[in-house]
Amino acid sequence: MSEIALNPASGPGPFQLPSQLPSQPPSQLPSQAPSQPPSQPSPQFPPLRRSADTRQSRRAWRAARVTVLSEFYEWGRVASTLGMLVIRAALTYWLWQALYATTKSAAGLDSRQATTYALLGVFYVAFRAVNRWAARDNMVQHMLEGTIAYWFLRPVSPRRFYCIKACGDLGYGASWGAIAYIVCLTSGVIAPPVSVRAGLAALACMTLGLVTLYYLRLLIDLACFWTVVNNQLVIMYEIVQNVLAGALVPLWFFPAWFASFDRLLPFQGTLNVPLSLYIGRTPVNQFAGALEVQALWIAILAVLSTLVWRRASARVTVLGG
Amino acid sequence: MDAGRAHEIRTGLDRKPGLREQAALYYRISRLNLKAQTAYHGEFVLGLLFGLVWQGSMVLFAGVLLLRFPGLGGWKQGDVLLIASMRLVSHSLYVACFSNIAMLSMTVQEGRMDGFLLRPMPVYRQVLLSRFQVNSFGDLLAGAGIFVLALFRLDLGWTPLKAVYVVCGILGGTLVEAGVQTLLAIGALRFTGLFTWTSWVDQTISTFGNYPLNVLPSPAKDALTFVFPVAFIAYLPAAIVTGHTATTGLPLWLTAAAPLLGLGFFLLAKTIWYRSLRLYQSVGG
Repeated sequence: MSEIALNPASGPGPFQLPSQLPSQPPSQLPSQAPSQPPSQPSPQFPPLRRSADTRQSRRAWRAARVTVLSEFYEWGRVASTLGMLVIRAALTYWLWQALYATTKSAAGLDSRQATTYALLGVFYVAFRAVNRWAARDNMVQHMLEGTIAYWFLRPVSPRRFYCIKACGDLGYGASWGAIAYIVCLTSGVIAPPVSVRAGLAALACMTLGLVTLYYLRLLIDLACFWTVVNNQLVIMYEIVQNVLAGALVPLWFFPAWFASFDRLLPFQGTLNVPLSLYIGRTPVNQFAGALEVQALWIAILAVLSTLVWRRASARVTVLGG
Repeated sequence: MDAGRAHEIRTGLDRKPGLREQAALYYRISRLNLKAQTAYHGEFVLGLLFGLVWQGSMVLFAGVLLLRFPGLGGWKQGDVLLIASMRLVSHSLYVACFSNIAMLSMTVQEGRMDGFLLRPMPVYRQVLLSRFQVNSFGDLLAGAGIFVLALFRLDLGWTPLKAVYVVCGILGGTLVEAGVQTLLAIGALRFTGLFTWTSWVDQTISTFGNYPLNVLPSPAKDALTFVFPVAFIAYLPAAIVTGHTATTGLPLWLTAAAPLLGLGFFLLAKTIWYRSLRLYQSVGG
């Protein structure tokens, strides 16, 4: 395995990227003329430049389609994933029905509320992230195969490219999630929100929760720039996230000390808070407090990810060759 | 190379290695694989913790529900804990010995399978030895811990026969899980992206293998008994030990034969896997 250092501090190598490249605004990169330094704007053609930038910016968003295209490249995989989800959802439904067979209420939740929570948790786990392993598009695969270099050569910054891909994943997952939700709702398997206000509050919380999840996953992926591989880290993160968000068991079933501790972490806001609002276990008037906690976490994670991106871009190591 | 030397090598290859030689070879391969895993220190440490955390989360799931609800399908809390603990131990043995078969789609995608077909060792064995599963330590630790806890909480009137049956049940469960993943790995010889299926099977067994399956409606219970044999991993052996055989809806002899059926199922799956090797399509380069 050959290793080519892109870190400017490690001296010139056979494949050296300029250290400023990742931190430059992406829109300036493609239009740089070879004879014209980037620091000198071209005052002759400002309208043309803006138009090219806009086009470039729009074209970059086409990367969001990659996930959908690679998923539907193998129809069988999509169909089997849906089949697996249906089986899992059915087993979850029956398990919760069986648990409530001898009791009317547990931890403040009745059978309908608990089943709704558990099923929405199953859909959340299934659709919150797309498995890019088969498409060889995971961060660890890019690191090990050296294709991470292309992220720094494209006319769009790696940070923006990552965000665009994540938006594509989210759109794809959300579409399937919406279909599953509508099917379950119309068939009466899950309950509708207790009120329109509760439904909207849950949606707002879920949206902020997805932003939180984006930043958390970004930080996990950026760890690859230091550790090269992050397989175990990703798996650990997903397990911890599922437990602390309430995707495995509604957090209402846990001891009070656990729930109090979890309230300080960013995970609960991604699932437990919106679902508790949805099923009516948490009153809508407590919605503002939950939003504040989420907004604070998003701000912290956004700043942290900006710092980490900056450090990561300065120490890219390309393996393979 | 002279003819004498070539003959010597050929004879050496044709000779079936003894048990001691095979054990030495397994040890050397596993030691090298372990050394390879330690190349990434952080990953290695997280791998050690992973089994513990994953199985811990599943136990948490079962534990929280069992504490909040009085029982499940006529089974008391302690009885359900025995199912969960037997499944955990059998799963940890599966991870230590067989889980590389579940990663065959990745092995094929990386082009490593071609090499397995050329070496003088059974292909299935090479697949099983292809990686050292660091997380098996954590799995074993979690499984053993919960099993000991369950034994303390249960008063089953232990007899030597019962203890032997529990051990056989755990081994049978290990083989059932290995058999299911072996059958699934046939698809990995031809198609990429099978890892989604193998991880789904793993998750489904981890989540639903901990409970008495008589709580499910009949078609679902039958499917988890005869199509996707989750019932044979821990539910049926635990039913024999705890005396809940009436809840299984199966003849007593079939319930009692679960460990033996696990062995038969695994051997059948392995035979089918070998026969399916001709379907293999190389994707690596």
